[in-house]
Amino acid sequence: MNWQSKSLARSLATKVILSTVALSLVVVWLTGSALYSQLSDGIKKVNLESSLSDARLSFYEARYQFLLIDGASQEEVKKVVNDVITTSITVGVTENIRELILVKVLNNGEAGQEINQPNYTFASNDLLSDTIPTRLRTNLTQSTDLSYDFAPLTYRDGTEIEALYVGQRVTIPASGKYDMFLVYTLSNQGATLELVQNSLYFTGLVLLFLIALITWLVVRQVVRPVRDAARVATQFTMGDFSQRLKVVGNDEISTLGTAFNEMAHSIEAQIGRLENLSKVQQRFVSDVSHELRTPLTTLRMASDVIYSQRADFDPIIARSAELLIAQIDRFEKLLQELLEVSRFDAEVAVLEPTDFEFVALIRRCVADFGVVLESADSQIKLLAPDSPVHIRADFRRVERIVRNLLANALDYSDGKVIEIECVETRTEVAVSVRDHGVGMEAESLTRVFDRFWRADPSRARTRGGTGLGLSIALEDVRLHNGELDAWGAPGDGANFVLTLPRIAGNEIAGRPLPVNPHKCSEITREKI
Amino acid sequence: MTLVMVVDDDQDLAEMLGIVLTGAGIDVDLVSRGDEVMDIFRSNPPDLVLLDVMLPGLDGVEVCKLIRAESMVPIVMLSAKGDIQDIVAGLEAGADDYMVKPFKHPSELIARIRTRLRRTNADVKGTLSIGDLVIDVTAHEIRRGAKVISLTRLEFDLLVALAKEPGRVFTRDALLSEVWGYRHTTDTRLVNVHVQRLRSKIEHDAENPSIVMTVRGVGYKAGVVGTA
Repeated sequence: MNWQSKSLARSLATKVILSTVALSLVVVWLTGSALYSQLSDGIKKVNLESSLSDARLSFYEARYQFLLIDGASQEEVKKVVNDVITTSITVGVTENIRELILVKVLNNGEAGQEINQPNYTFASNDLLSDTIPTRLRTNLTQSTDLSYDFAPLTYRDGTEIEALYVGQRVTIPASGKYDMFLVYTLSNQGATLELVQNSLYFTGLVLLFLIALITWLVVRQVVRPVRDAARVATQFTMGDFSQRLKVVGNDEISTLGTAFNEMAHSIEAQIGRLENLSKVQQRFVSDVSHELRTPLTTLRMASDVIYSQRADFDPIIARSAELLIAQIDRFEKLLQELLEVSRFDAEVAVLEPTDFEFVALIRRCVADFGVVLESADSQIKLLAPDSPVHIRADFRRVERIVRNLLANALDYSDGKVIEIECVETRTEVAVSVRDHGVGMEAESLTRVFDRFWRADPSRARTRGGTGLGLSIALEDVRLHNGELDAWGAPGDGANFVLTLPRIAGNEIAGRPLPVNPHKCSEITREKI
Repeated sequence: MTLVMVVDDDQDLAEMLGIVLTGAGIDVDLVSRGDEVMDIFRSNPPDLVLLDVMLPGLDGVEVCKLIRAESMVPIVMLSAKGDIQDIVAGLEAGADDYMVKPFKHPSELIARIRTRLRRTNADVKGTLSIGDLVIDVTAHEIRRGAKVISLTRLEFDLLVALAKEPGRVFTRDALLSEVWGYRHTTDTRLVNVHVQRLRSKIEHDAENPSIVMTVRGVGYKAGVVGTA
């Protein structure tokens, strides 16, 4: 499956799953929170009530004991106070740890008057009396009933624990008023609440996971046909017109499938018809070209015989023989190029790469045009590396490209010098053919590779070009996976740059030679 | 006088070929149908056959096979199709050379015909050795031990060209100019196909040649005398 359709399917499924999970998370969170707060409220309430009734019992017991010993000796009072303290700490109905603090209430803060009274102030576990919330102490001065408050309990070693303080004022005979506090630590309640919370978290997570799983299963049912459709459409795009969707059932997806298949069928039929038309057309061009070859051979031989005898003819007939043979040459070249073009159109042109030396090929092509490179007044100058430039390409085609570029330059050079430059990089070779003739308008540049196109219709082709040369050159270059660029300016001549991969068919990394001769190369030229 | 059989269904072209060849001092026998070739070939054996590919009656490639079955006469195929498959099919059927219509110059056709008719190795006399083969150039005979191997004239010339300079590596271009008489290299497939055919006749194992050796990226050379 290709990347595009895969990512489409993946993103659709992911999107649905993610949004479902996100929404479920909110719902589960809200439900969980409500549940938790109700549960914790309930637990706290029950805990508070049991603690309060426990405290009430203890206070009642203490007050009762203190009432009984009213007027007794100091030893007896002390003993009862100790009994009360011991009972209050050890006996309890709840599992919570209880602490007891007994604080003497000073009368109007005048400590001096009571200096002779015994003081029974006590705190279990050496608790400090300032751990008691002040609010609670204030409440006790105003009420005779018990009061309670939640506050942290601080031990001497610094540990702090959430606790319930319950206090009531009691009177100890011959000593005065005391604030009696029972402190219930809430660690057990905390543990219970934590358990509840953890259970809720766990349930929530499992629920979320299950929702994601279900969503995935459902989404897959929808996504799979979409993914299939995407794959088929991609293959269709890549030219496999026989691809169809499987249509199952009678739902929306199958409607989509049917519609797609109808479209595919219609496109396949249309393309088939066009392909057939194009094949017939190409076949016709190819057949015509072939059929013309036999008579052309006869013509050629006949004209050759006549031409070889021209010395014996009347001057007019002799000249006619010359014209005849020249036109047959031209006709033959045109025929050859038409055949070549029909091969490109039919896409039957194949590359036959061999290893050869590029500069030698350029030199030979130049020599074939009758130009001597070495002479000082030569019309063509060649700038090439000293070392051989080896490439792997279709020799016949590369030769044809260079020939076409040279013929074109010579046609439009107006006799001015033509510069050929050849450079090589690690991955490609490039050759530019620059003339300083009439040049081209910008709009001509886009059409210069068109078949039978002439920059200036009034201008005669001096070298008998067919008008197919450059377009064949471009096709040849493309077959190698190379590039052919043209540049021109009116009055400043033209420049054609051929860039070929060192090994035909490879990608070219850049253009070692710029097409505009007035600009510098865009990539540094590596020396090998 | 030299006799060339021209087999072409196009009457005008055949006549024109006749005129050109006669002008070059060669006798011509014109045949227009593929299925008539063998009768005329047997009754009046030519020195060379110029054979068109597209023929009524019997296809040129088939005719080529029939001629090869009973004669080593040089065969030059004429093809209106420049397509590779047709050329290779013709060469594999036993043609020595081929020309694509229309010819660049009629003189080129005559040059090719002359090359095929001439003894290209007229300068070599006596016997040569290549691998475990002995070539008797004078008697135009190849022997492995006592066994005589029969080759076409072109194959013989190709083998002699390699054997007479045992150390030299021949590029395909060099062979084309020495054996086929080409002045411009056009198509080195010609060499490849004929080397394959030659190997199938003389090598012990054509996949692992020891007589006509390939030099990768360059061309061919003769196998060492006495080996194989």
